[in-house]
Amino acid sequence: METKSKSLSFWLLTAFFVLFVLFLYSPMIAVFILSFQGPTGGMTFPLRGLSLHWFTDLFTSSRYGDLGGAFQRSILLSLLAMLVTVVVSFFAGLGFRRRFWGSGALFYLAIIALVMPGILTGLGIGTIFQTLGLRTNWLVSGLGAHLSWTLPFGLLIMFAVLNRFNGAWEEAARDAGARPVQVLGMVTLPIVFPGLIAVALFGLTLSYDEYPRSLLTVGTRNTLPIHVANLTANVTTPALYAIGTLTTFLSLIVIAGAFGTISLAARKRR
Amino acid sequence: MTKQGEILLDKVTRKFGNLTAVNAVDQVIEGGSYCCMIGPSGCGKSTLLRMIAGHEVPSSGRILIGGRDVTRVRTGERGTALMFQNYALFPHLNLTDNVAFPLKIHGLSAAERREKAREMLGRVQLSHLADRMPSQLSGGQQQRVALARALITNPQVLLLDEPLSALDEFLRLRMRVELKRLQNDLGITFIHVTHTQPEAIALADKVIVMDHGIIEQAAHPKEIYDHPHSPYVARFMGGQNVVAGQVEAVAGDSALLRGAEGGRFRLPLRAPAKQGAEMRFSVRRDKISLSPGETAGENALAGRVTNVEYQGTFVKVELATAQREEFVVYLSDRLFFARPFDFGDALVASWAPEDVCQLIGGNNSAGDALAH
Amino acid sequence: MNRNRAAQVLATPMAALLIAFAGAPLVMVVALSFWSFDGLEYHPDFTLANYVEVFSSAVTWTIFLNTVKYAAITWVLTLLIGFTVAYYLVFHVRVLKVQIGLFLLCTIPFWTSTVIRMIGWVPFLGKEGLFNNALIATGAIDRPLEFLLFSDFAVILTYVNLFTLFMLAPIFNSMAKIDRNVVEAALDAGASPAQILRDVIIPLSRTGIALGSIFVLTLVMGDFFIVRVMSGGQSTSVVSAMKNNIDQLYYPQAAAMAVLLIAVVLILVSVILRVVDVRSELAK
Repeated sequence: METKSKSLSFWLLTAFFVLFVLFLYSPMIAVFILSFQGPTGGMTFPLRGLSLHWFTDLFTSSRYGDLGGAFQRSILLSLLAMLVTVVVSFFAGLGFRRRFWGSGALFYLAIIALVMPGILTGLGIGTIFQTLGLRTNWLVSGLGAHLSWTLPFGLLIMFAVLNRFNGAWEEAARDAGARPVQVLGMVTLPIVFPGLIAVALFGLTLSYDEYPRSLLTVGTRNTLPIHVANLTANVTTPALYAIGTLTTFLSLIVIAGAFGTISLAARKRR
Repeated sequence: MTKQGEILLDKVTRKFGNLTAVNAVDQVIEGGSYCCMIGPSGCGKSTLLRMIAGHEVPSSGRILIGGRDVTRVRTGERGTALMFQNYALFPHLNLTDNVAFPLKIHGLSAAERREKAREMLGRVQLSHLADRMPSQLSGGQQQRVALARALITNPQVLLLDEPLSALDEFLRLRMRVELKRLQNDLGITFIHVTHTQPEAIALADKVIVMDHGIIEQAAHPKEIYDHPHSPYVARFMGGQNVVAGQVEAVAGDSALLRGAEGGRFRLPLRAPAKQGAEMRFSVRRDKISLSPGETAGENALAGRVTNVEYQGTFVKVELATAQREEFVVYLSDRLFFARPFDFGDALVASWAPEDVCQLIGGNNSAGDALAH
Repeated sequence: MNRNRAAQVLATPMAALLIAFAGAPLVMVVALSFWSFDGLEYHPDFTLANYVEVFSSAVTWTIFLNTVKYAAITWVLTLLIGFTVAYYLVFHVRVLKVQIGLFLLCTIPFWTSTVIRMIGWVPFLGKEGLFNNALIATGAIDRPLEFLLFSDFAVILTYVNLFTLFMLAPIFNSMAKIDRNVVEAALDAGASPAQILRDVIIPLSRTGIALGSIFVLTLVMGDFFIVRVMSGGQSTSVVSAMKNNIDQLYYPQAAAMAVLLIAVVLILVSVILRVVDVRSELAK
């Protein structure tokens, strides 16, 4: 690219990028600002004063149902989903390094799980449980439904990570006398660790934010996204935005934690 | 009497489905010797090396190290250590921990194994980098760490898989000297796989030339250079011209060959020959003299110059002759510049029958020899 | 064979979970679509009544068309935006760290709640919203624009806002792997930037484009919540209609529509996968 046209296209594209980022963040910014709406304000602009009124209203008023319970369930469920996803994806990724019998079918099953609309998965799981005479329960059918969403992501990430992995490292460990478990624990695991953090991050946030699959599979106790979605129909106060702000902060802390861990591991390696 | 570190290969075979990578190889490698295995890509040398190391299991046959049958013994327990082609240093450990890794597997305490590792790093002149990570090192430094890690378990046999290929020319020549010196100091068996001929003949007590899964010739480098077994070995090891002809007459221990377009060659026989049979012989490129002319006498070839390449101490002159194969002469620079030749000049190349070697083996392939 | 057996064992937990919670439910839904509904509950059966109902209803086709319309428009928009942003990041932002930093900047909203990001548009686009107020303040318009909210515009805007990242990420990944030497060789041969774009960059990013397209299309076609909220209940999608059925416990009918939808989605996906062999590309 010549310098002259580089300047023009560069600045045009930069402007486009800035607009794009603003576009992405606009709803979040609107929610953030409005969560500090004054006590007499409504759900739209203008702001009538700044206050923490709606935050406290969340915790004190009974209008918002079992918010705390839904929150706890979501946290627990997403932690469980994260753990299971990491372990299962790790081993599956290791297995996929070879073209074993059935590997093609399993790959396409993962793709199908990915593209199937969530509510259908939920419908299927719910009906299976019903037909078997079991009650849907957020820890069993709910967890399973979340896993059907997080596991394909985990698998794809492990693909990307393990493809850059040099099998010679494991061979060198074996040459030094290491047994398979030692190779796994002392060489393979530490090296792919940042990738596992990424899988954990996806597992945690995808599950925490999951809505369609959860609808028919969590049974009588709701998760947070379902609870919030229900609230959007009934609640007409900025408390809804307060929930949004709090949830966003929580997510941001989790992401920061994840990236912090990754860069720490990477720095140790350097 | 089996010496420590002696390797016995007994009909070692490795098949991958229909492909036979290593075909019933028999060989004895003396303990404490430096052995180089050489051949083009796919000849089986790396597979053979990995079978000795224990990273591959032979389809049939036995491998004995130091008198002990290790054919089915796990790698890491057979007294061998492999130095990997791209070093395979653990990226998540610093140099000390990399070198200490085998000792950790053997159960030594952290303090003890780190001390031993530092000592070993000292021996390869890398003490000052003991706390660095592999990614911060140059190729030559990484190689020394890989060496240190392999040697720390005091193996009987050190296996090196193309250890010098990833280095630049200058470093390669330096490291070659280091390796030879190291082997001398340690006194253990070194098996070094390479595809570079000068490297092999410089380092080895024994060179094993392979092609398509079998050993073509295994001997001291000088023996291979002076008496190559087959046309393939002659071409692959370089520095030789292969000339073909038909046996016209046999007289005692010498034969007269008739070559294309009336070439006549007399050479001493190593193996019996029948009249009318096809025969090939090799003549060293530095043992040929060149003079202008059109007609060749006995033990000579006439040709035209197709290439002249200056190589510092000598000049490569390539001729197109009645032989279908390339014919190259190494002329000392003094001789060449006394009477330089040019493209298209008509020359006669001649040699003495004592400088010729009858090629007995049947392998006539060209291999993927690196031109040099 | 030993190593292959070990690989199978390693992949078994994933296989078991996916079969149990994705494969079996899919089969269940297909089976369900053949069951009968007597007005109160549904029974295991084999009837084509549900399919007849779905296919013969004109509403079905309207809804399908509507959904496909949303999907197509969203796909085009996310592709254009995602590709442009990825192109900017990879080819105009030289420093790698800045590239990754800016990319992460784009992904942060993804980690927060979808529902929240959706409702955040209401105060923005409403008649008394930020956008309208800004436009009126600058004098560009006299009366607030009504079509901004609770309309097709709002639905597609939200789709693009939420799903562009799914297009951006795979394309960014593919583009970053393009060997710069290839681009330079094309420049050397006299190609113009437009030609390089058409003949070098786009073909070499096709895996990312394929993956991104799969994500975006399936996300839009599978949505029922966004379309309902952002259209103010005026518009609907296939899955939204399904959800209505589900709410009223018309499971077999819902399942029949679902099977139809899944069939369409799978056909789309397999066409895309036929064009680009994703599995082998992932292996790079």
